[in-house]
Amino acid sequence: MTAQSIPADQLLAAIRGAGVQDVVLVPDTHQRTVLDLLMDDEEIRTIHCSTEDEAVAVSAGLIIGGRRPMMQIQHAGLYASVNNLRGVALDGHFPIVLLIGLLGRDPELEPEQDGSSMVRLCRPLLETLDIPSHLLDGPDDLHHVAKAFDEAAERNGPVALLVGTTTS
Amino acid sequence: MTDNTAVQRMSLDAALDVLARRREQQVVVGTMTANGAWRQKSPHDLNLACIGFMGGASTLGLGVALSQPDRDVWVIDGDGSLMMQLGSLGTIAGAAPTNFLHIVIHNGVYETSGSQPLPSQQQVDFARMAEGAGYAQTVSFGDAEEFDSAIDELLAADGPTLVQLYTRPEDRFYSARPTPPGSTPALARIWPPVAEALK
Repeated sequence: MTAQSIPADQLLAAIRGAGVQDVVLVPDTHQRTVLDLLMDDEEIRTIHCSTEDEAVAVSAGLIIGGRRPMMQIQHAGLYASVNNLRGVALDGHFPIVLLIGLLGRDPELEPEQDGSSMVRLCRPLLETLDIPSHLLDGPDDLHHVAKAFDEAAERNGPVALLVGTTTS
Repeated sequence: MTDNTAVQRMSLDAALDVLARRREQQVVVGTMTANGAWRQKSPHDLNLACIGFMGGASTLGLGVALSQPDRDVWVIDGDGSLMMQLGSLGTIAGAAPTNFLHIVIHNGVYETSGSQPLPSQQQVDFARMAEGAGYAQTVSFGDAEEFDSAIDELLAADGPTLVQLYTRPEDRFYSARPTPPGSTPALARIWPPVAEALK
């Protein structure tokens, strides 16, 4: 099955529907259209970080203070944030939901068959870290967004959502 | 360029005493050697700790500060720790939390691993870096009495504020104990009571 582009307004509606108050981000080219909408959104606050490691710790701090954050990063940032995913999100038992863009993925292939190591190794890395993930391969998959927050709360740990192709 | 070889340095205890005397209902995030000393000086149900993710104290504190804008948040950071996440200076300055105090204990070494020198130990200046990043206030002290005289005015003004404290290395070598299988990591035990207290 070919991955379908998710319209930015639909993804933002799903984020809003999940009760997200803060999006903690390092910009992802793949989700550029969503970022454009978030920048203008008056209800959801965006917090811009220099690195994805920082985004994990900021998200944890927000949760301690009673907020409901979501991280938004690119697959390269997943690799960059492994130490804090382990030391903060996993060891600290923080229910952090990560929205990760699979930039450059061939929409005709499963991510594990992709020619790019950044795409191909993403789910195996998450499995190694014992972080559940759900692929958003089109608008029909957006129900995973709210469910990811329930899952994160139930397991007291992070859950990843992978944006399968560039948002429109 | 700053010459760290010529600066006056206070003891870590004296530096933390100045802060402990002002402790009220601030959330305090400690890390590395200063964390243990701080928890002894100021035991409190609003003490958080950066344990097991060196470099993350400042951004953990940033998240709390942004979620609790009416409560002051202090981060007691280390120089080696901040070096690991230097970009956090830009992140904090960009978010601009007025309730954020960033203390950097500058002893010039990685104390817990045996006091090996920090990269650029002889000249690195975190106050100037924070000023360049856009912190509202940045200042350095090597004398505990001078720090004591100035801190109230710094606390009264809007942050983010970075205070660089030159301290003497004290060779507090840290030897990690094995973690028993199935035990709950420290951070998972520490933060839920803090979250409860903040409700």
